[in-house]
Amino acid sequence: MSRGTQNTVLLLVGLSAAVMVFKGSYLHYVKPSLLPWLVAAAVVLVVLAVTAIVSDLRHGSHHPADDGHRHRSWPGWLLVVPIAFITFVVPPPIGARGATPEAVAAAQPQRRPFPPLPAGPAPAVSLPDLVMRAAADSTNSLDGRRVTVTGFTLKYPQGTDLGRVVIVCCAADAQLARINLSGPGDAEVSGYPEDTWLQLEGQLVPGTSVPSSNFIPTVAVKSVQRIDKPANTYTY
Amino acid sequence: MEVLLVALIALALAAGAMSSFVARNADLSVAATVFCGVFVQALPFLVLGVVVSGLIAAFVSAERLSRWLPRRPAVAVAVAGVGGAALPGCECGSVPVARRLFGEGISGAAALTFMLSAPAINPVVLVATAVAFPGQPAMVLARCVASLVTAVLMGLLWLRWGRTEWVTRRLPVAHAPDASRWTVFTEAARHDFLQAASYLVVGAAAAAALRVVVPAWVFEHLAGHLALGVLSMALLAVVLALCSEADAFVAASLTMLPVLPRLVFLVVGPAIDVKLAAMQAGMFGRPFAIRFGPTTFVVATAVATTVGLVILGGTR
Repeated sequence: MSRGTQNTVLLLVGLSAAVMVFKGSYLHYVKPSLLPWLVAAAVVLVVLAVTAIVSDLRHGSHHPADDGHRHRSWPGWLLVVPIAFITFVVPPPIGARGATPEAVAAAQPQRRPFPPLPAGPAPAVSLPDLVMRAAADSTNSLDGRRVTVTGFTLKYPQGTDLGRVVIVCCAADAQLARINLSGPGDAEVSGYPEDTWLQLEGQLVPGTSVPSSNFIPTVAVKSVQRIDKPANTYTY
Repeated sequence: MEVLLVALIALALAAGAMSSFVARNADLSVAATVFCGVFVQALPFLVLGVVVSGLIAAFVSAERLSRWLPRRPAVAVAVAGVGGAALPGCECGSVPVARRLFGEGISGAAALTFMLSAPAINPVVLVATAVAFPGQPAMVLARCVASLVTAVLMGLLWLRWGRTEWVTRRLPVAHAPDASRWTVFTEAARHDFLQAASYLVVGAAAAAALRVVVPAWVFEHLAGHLALGVLSMALLAVVLALCSEADAFVAASLTMLPVLPRLVFLVVGPAIDVKLAAMQAGMFGRPFAIRFGPTTFVVATAVATTVGLVILGGTR
């Protein structure tokens, strides 16, 4: 790979990072909080590439570092792969079946106090937070409270669950959090096909987040509303 | 250059067909997303790493570094290990930095110790571990101690048995003596990024492929057995190639395992995994990587097990 081609590849890696940030597809792979770092990385790469290109144009591309160092520069071509995937192929976010099937929140059954739920008749609670509170909240903040929870349907032989894919850092650590459903709304939920996005109102059935259920709690569903698939399907 | 242009045009034309092919195939789409996840997550840390290594090339000569280091080798290695806490990134960034710091004798061992300790004991990683294991400060302590001991031990092993000729990859020779610091900086950062990122691609692809193939059966055969659990978690850490800032949360979620194998996972992962092995082969050379990687694996597993038994107790 010639020095000029290397510079072009470097420029393209920087530009694909910029494209990914601009299109928002970086949310398929990493957390929103990485955004400023990605922007900074893209800027640094573009500056490095442009500096090298400009200095080669000024002084001619014969650089002292090039002398006799042509061997083994093929790995540079490998960088075409991420450029292709990030800008052209754009793989979709990890879905339910690609995530590690662990109940994320069941991690530590060691009980501790959680902050109180927001006020209101049916406050929104994220699905992993609900699983976590059901398993480990020493203040039992969910007991007797109606909550709103959002997720997609998951069909199992024993019934339909509501799930969310949780990522900690990047798509490589994606895990599935899910809750079992019961109550009057369960039949309606079961009528929807797999991977339908729903917003449910319901109440935790006490005593369902136990080792025998692998700390997957059951929620008695009161009302069901179908919603559009959100732009960012992960939760954190 | 022409090949690159033709390849890009072909890619642009085939983009639609490729994306729908990937989207239709479930395993392929998971693998592609994991690949992008590892690469995109590592990118900013790698850039930070090459900026630091460029600054080192421009401002810190090997002679100056060895003047800073304490005379006694063991003390120098220990200082480098503790100094790792100062680079708040994950493991991808520390490989190019260590390659720049690497030199003859003591400074070589110190650079390798720094490379192993920086991603494991910096404050960001320790806070993440504390958050993932609430109410278990012993886990944070055990991780910090085990990683530090692993790093220092590897540095001492290098001092005793390491050979500089295993490091076959040479950094480009310094430019014309009149080159400005800016030129030295940009050239070093550019070179290190191209080297390290190319091998990051290999590592990310390996992690993606293994992620699709491995977990299904690994998880089934893990349960209960302590020695088997330790070994399989060590291998899993190598295979999954997680970022050291995220691995604690994954370890915390593996509830079917005792604490000890999970500690092993946290100590082995930042020290050696498929993407690091590929990057080390790229930055240091293959003869170095095939000796250093497996040794790190054995040392990290043994140290983590020992430290875990002492600090956490063997039972739960």
